Amino acid sequence: MLLQLEELTKVYRTGTRANDQISLAVGEGEVFGLLGHNGAGKTTLVNQVVGLLRPTSGTIRIDGRDMVADPGLARRLCSFQAQAQVPIDGLTPRQAIDLLGQLRGSSKLEVRRRRERLVDALDLGEWLDIDAARLSGGVKRLVAFAMAAVSPGRVVMLDEPTNDVDPVRRRLLWRQVRTLADHGAAVLLVTHNVIEAERSVDRLAILDGGRVIAEGTPAELKGRLGAALRLELVLSPDSAVVPISPFPGSSVSVGNRLMVGIPMDGAGQAVTWAESLQRAGAIEEFTLGPATLEDVYVALVGGVETRPAEPEEARSATAA
Amino acid sequence: MQLLRSYQLLVTWQALRKKAYLPLMMAVQTLFSLGIVLGYPLLFPTLDRTSIYLIATGAPAISMISVGLVALPQTVGEQRTEGSLAYMRSLPVPRLSYLVADLTVWLGIVIPGVVLGVLVGAWRFGLDLQVSPLVVPAMVMVALTATCLGYALASVLPYMLTVIITQAIVVFVFMFSPLTFLPSKLPAWLETIHSILPIQAMGEVTRGTIAPNEFGLPPGAFLVLAVWCVLGFGVTYAAMTRRG
Repeated sequence: MLLQLEELTKVYRTGTRANDQISLAVGEGEVFGLLGHNGAGKTTLVNQVVGLLRPTSGTIRIDGRDMVADPGLARRLCSFQAQAQVPIDGLTPRQAIDLLGQLRGSSKLEVRRRRERLVDALDLGEWLDIDAARLSGGVKRLVAFAMAAVSPGRVVMLDEPTNDVDPVRRRLLWRQVRTLADHGAAVLLVTHNVIEAERSVDRLAILDGGRVIAEGTPAELKGRLGAALRLELVLSPDSAVVPISPFPGSSVSVGNRLMVGIPMDGAGQAVTWAESLQRAGAIEEFTLGPATLEDVYVALVGGVETRPAEPEEARSATAA
Repeated sequence: MQLLRSYQLLVTWQALRKKAYLPLMMAVQTLFSLGIVLGYPLLFPTLDRTSIYLIATGAPAISMISVGLVALPQTVGEQRTEGSLAYMRSLPVPRLSYLVADLTVWLGIVIPGVVLGVLVGAWRFGLDLQVSPLVVPAMVMVALTATCLGYALASVLPYMLTVIITQAIVVFVFMFSPLTFLPSKLPAWLETIHSILPIQAMGEVTRGTIAPNEFGLPPGAFLVLAVWCVLGFGVTYAAMTRRG
């Protein structure tokens, strides 16, 4: 594995244990997702890899070399898109991308060639020569991604790369994330957008309270849920009736929604039950669809960040 | 080679980032200088020759200090708070390159204000200044010391404390520092403190090279500045390379 973290622990001076015995490995050509709530310890982890923070204990290795002992090497081997906006006000995207590419040691010609390809792929052309101070947050995120991708290191770390980015360009961005991995980079992707992560990562780890509470491919993690389908009930605010699931699988309540795990052969029974609840006025609507990574996440962490969903993330079967 | 190349690229980056502020900074510095050379004669209608030269040479010194020890720490403190300094520290280049590049750009911001300050003073009082050949290294030394110390302040203190301290520096520099008057006017205890602090040395070096016919240039002043400059740079570099 190209990037290897072993028992990485970070305790801040305040006593906060932000990372607790985290062991992860990301291989060449792999997109690895790091999921978790705000404060789960994701950014702390990334900041240690790139040498901004020193681990309290544990090791970070890239290609077998100790990054804790040589943070300068870590910065050269890693491309990094930080969670905060990049400080490029006053620069145009063209200048910012070119400068970063050259700072990473690529020639002007090579940088220009790669920048042109990225700008086309991310559809950034119309903003290429506009002062970044006048760009929207989403466009700046795309520029920040292009800065990280123009001359990528062997490890590419992206901290919430899609924040504020419009749905169309998000897709373009995910395609470029995959391209980075296809060219051999180990991509560590930090996000709390579970729905997007499910589509984009090869493997992932879910962080909670600084610890890895689950790790595997999206399919492996969904397999652990023990339910192939998910019935989502939107509870009626006026009803005193609390639906009790007749299914043995897990059910999780988030706000006015109740998510119930359903086995594949229970689809018919689930719809009948939901319709009876709707007739009784206990729920406003229901949705039956395949179980998602979000269900795993909710079951493990007990709540979920709500992020704007893309249009096609609409329900597979909705009754109102 | 890597140091030099990354230095050049980072100077470009930082200069582009700050280009919008350069006219504003120059305007503020010019106003500082104008305020001093126009305002002091209102307070003290009869000024002797020495006082006139002190005010004319004190204005550029105050202008340099106002950028290096006030505007710079506030800006850098803001960058620390918003995370942009961390981003620059994560770049794949030696941190020394970044620090020296940023200081270079700040010097570029400070120096035009000094020239304007000198010109404003000479114009207001009709002075024929015979500047010393040492004026360029002297001004660079003063500006570098002010910027290094300002950077050090912002690098180690929390942002709010930096803002408060820089406000206190403004008052201290304007009212209680021997820049527009001679140290002998101060109470003995404050004169002793100023013999150690860098502000008096900044004033001595500025007036001793801008108006060498009027003021001597105490060799010790350069030494005091050098010590503070190295201290400021060292503290800043340590903060820049420190992993929390």
